[in-house]
Amino acid sequence: MRRGAVGVAALLFAGVLIGALLGLPAPGAGLPPLVTAQMGNSGVTHPVTAVLLNFRGYDTLLEVAVLLVALLGLLAVQRSERAVAPGAAVEPVLQTLARRAAPLMVVVGVYLLWAGASRPGGAFQAAAVLAAGAVLAHLARLLPAWSAPRAWLRTGITGGFLVFLAVAVALLGGGALLQYPPAHAGLLILLIEAGLTVSLALLLAGLFLFLSEEGTRR
Amino acid sequence: MTDPLPWLVVLPLAWASVAFLLGPGRGAVLAAFGVALQCALAFELAARVQAAGALRYAVGGWGSPLGIDWYVDGLAVLMLGLTQVVALPLLLYARSYFGHAGAAGRYFWPLAGFLIGGMNALFVSADLFNLYVTLEIVGLAAVGLVAAGGGAAQLAAALRYLFATLLGSGAFLLGVALIYGACGTVSIELLGPLLAGEAPRAVYVAVVLMSVGLFLKTALFPFHYWLPPAHGGAAVPVSALLSALVIKASFYLLLRLWLDIFAPLVQPLAWLPAVLGSAAILWGSWQAVRAEHLKLLVAWSTVAQIGYLFLAFPLLATQAAALDAVVFQTVSHALAKAAMFAATGVVIHVTGNDTVAGVAGVAQRLPLTLFAFALAGVTLMGLPPSGGFLAKWLLIDAALAEGAWPLVLVVLLGGLLAAWYVFRVLRQAFLLAPPTEVAVRAPRLMEWSALLLAAASVALGVRGIELARLIAPVGAS
Repeated sequence: MRRGAVGVAALLFAGVLIGALLGLPAPGAGLPPLVTAQMGNSGVTHPVTAVLLNFRGYDTLLEVAVLLVALLGLLAVQRSERAVAPGAAVEPVLQTLARRAAPLMVVVGVYLLWAGASRPGGAFQAAAVLAAGAVLAHLARLLPAWSAPRAWLRTGITGGFLVFLAVAVALLGGGALLQYPPAHAGLLILLIEAGLTVSLALLLAGLFLFLSEEGTRR
Repeated sequence: MTDPLPWLVVLPLAWASVAFLLGPGRGAVLAAFGVALQCALAFELAARVQAAGALRYAVGGWGSPLGIDWYVDGLAVLMLGLTQVVALPLLLYARSYFGHAGAAGRYFWPLAGFLIGGMNALFVSADLFNLYVTLEIVGLAAVGLVAAGGGAAQLAAALRYLFATLLGSGAFLLGVALIYGACGTVSIELLGPLLAGEAPRAVYVAVVLMSVGLFLKTALFPFHYWLPPAHGGAAVPVSALLSALVIKASFYLLLRLWLDIFAPLVQPLAWLPAVLGSAAILWGSWQAVRAEHLKLLVAWSTVAQIGYLFLAFPLLATQAAALDAVVFQTVSHALAKAAMFAATGVVIHVTGNDTVAGVAGVAQRLPLTLFAFALAGVTLMGLPPSGGFLAKWLLIDAALAEGAWPLVLVVLLGGLLAAWYVFRVLRQAFLLAPPTEVAVRAPRLMEWSALLLAAASVALGVRGIELARLIAPVGAS
């Protein structure tokens, strides 16, 4: 009965949404022409990176804060003292594979970071690959789960955000928050992206490794 | 002096990250200095807005529609000021509170910093997508604070809150996407003229989705189901921050949208929030009257007081006093509810009992704290000369001018019910205490910050004219 009602409501909602989408006017010019017109001043040559780090860099700054808050929330509910030790079961094939894959993933991560300026890529993608490497190593029992974050880990996790914030504030002198001088925009964006790659990789890996109990001796 | 505006957003984010760097449980002093500085910045900004009118700031120097704009008018600066002014005593209170609460306070300081930074960013943003991001920061930080260091019941409340807040921001985001699809921009300034004319169907769907999402986040009846367990179960400083400020942030956004770009579309629907608000006042107050636990009583009172914020919606288009009423209710409730939770925390700390029955004897043991609770109660009941009285007076005045007498009835009935649940606690407090065991001393800092907030909520009624002048440009436009 209740399921049926929810199903009918969901169907109705889907119908309304489809109706709304069918009624949309033909796409006008919108923002893409504006982005293209300003590409020369953005410091990078890939439009997505230009929007994410320059035109709407402030959004990205706050989005990194969202990720940080998510990790903080996770840490806040974590039981304070958990004994985390390498477990017993070892899969030799998996371990060998993970050992081979890890360096490749680091190379891919760094490549994605560098490529972001001119083609699809960037800090978020690079960090996701690096974090996946850490998760893989963890699942192969090469890397133990993390308990409470130590000083080096806290520094790594917040470092990228603080660099981003520091650049944003330093640019206040030249006009507005996050207003890059066109001549140095490329370099500053690379600096921010490099910091973010490290921090986001640790952060995304942390979302998995702080929760994991694998490798805990019971 | 440099422009205070960017610092109001950057500063809390910075001290929050540094507090996390310092380690679990650290950063209290840093936070207090940070918020004190933010208070000064907010007042400086208020002076500038009053002198030169609303400010526009292009983040990144691009300007809308390519970049993101900030827009600060009287209403925004008022919310900025309110947030910093309420947060400062609450953080001092929290320092004392978490001094003896152990695990719950491990990540309080960084989360509180991101919460305040997110709210400040929300108040100044003039870009729908950016507003969504700020909603996410505020929502996730609030959920983290509720969940911190709690048992199973508290985690369940936090999870329910998480689902509610994610559903709310999800609906908001879907609305933003539809508006971008229909209009090709997310800048509020540019959307104004676009939505004033013939709007496509998608925009109507978007307006409904975004409004419902914000109702859910503001806990307007019947979307209030998540609030009592979350606000009643969290650590006391967290309950105070959430009840006083966090729900006001999503309410502010709703008010801003309904007054500005949604105004031509929602005019026929303006009675709906008032009906829901009336139900919230009656149901919330009744539940507060019946509540057994002290913090639940205060949390249900929040559900009721939110109702008053929505009562004025049908009057906003024609009565200038209606907006003043909303603003006074927002400010006085924030101060009074922060004070009431703070006082409740002291009582629970000293008596070790969180039921209404356990308040017996508090009049002798904690006269200062009980005075703070009573003063906050005066504002919630709407007795003169408090800020709550001014808010309700303006509301009744505007409703009578419009001939909307049912609203007047609801306001009067709500005041009576509020008196009932406040006097329930006060009466119990004056009963003779059972023979006391070992007496726990009340931390001075906690008692005085509660009293300060309560006194401010009452004094607001006397010095209300300054606030009214600050928002005058908004009312005129």
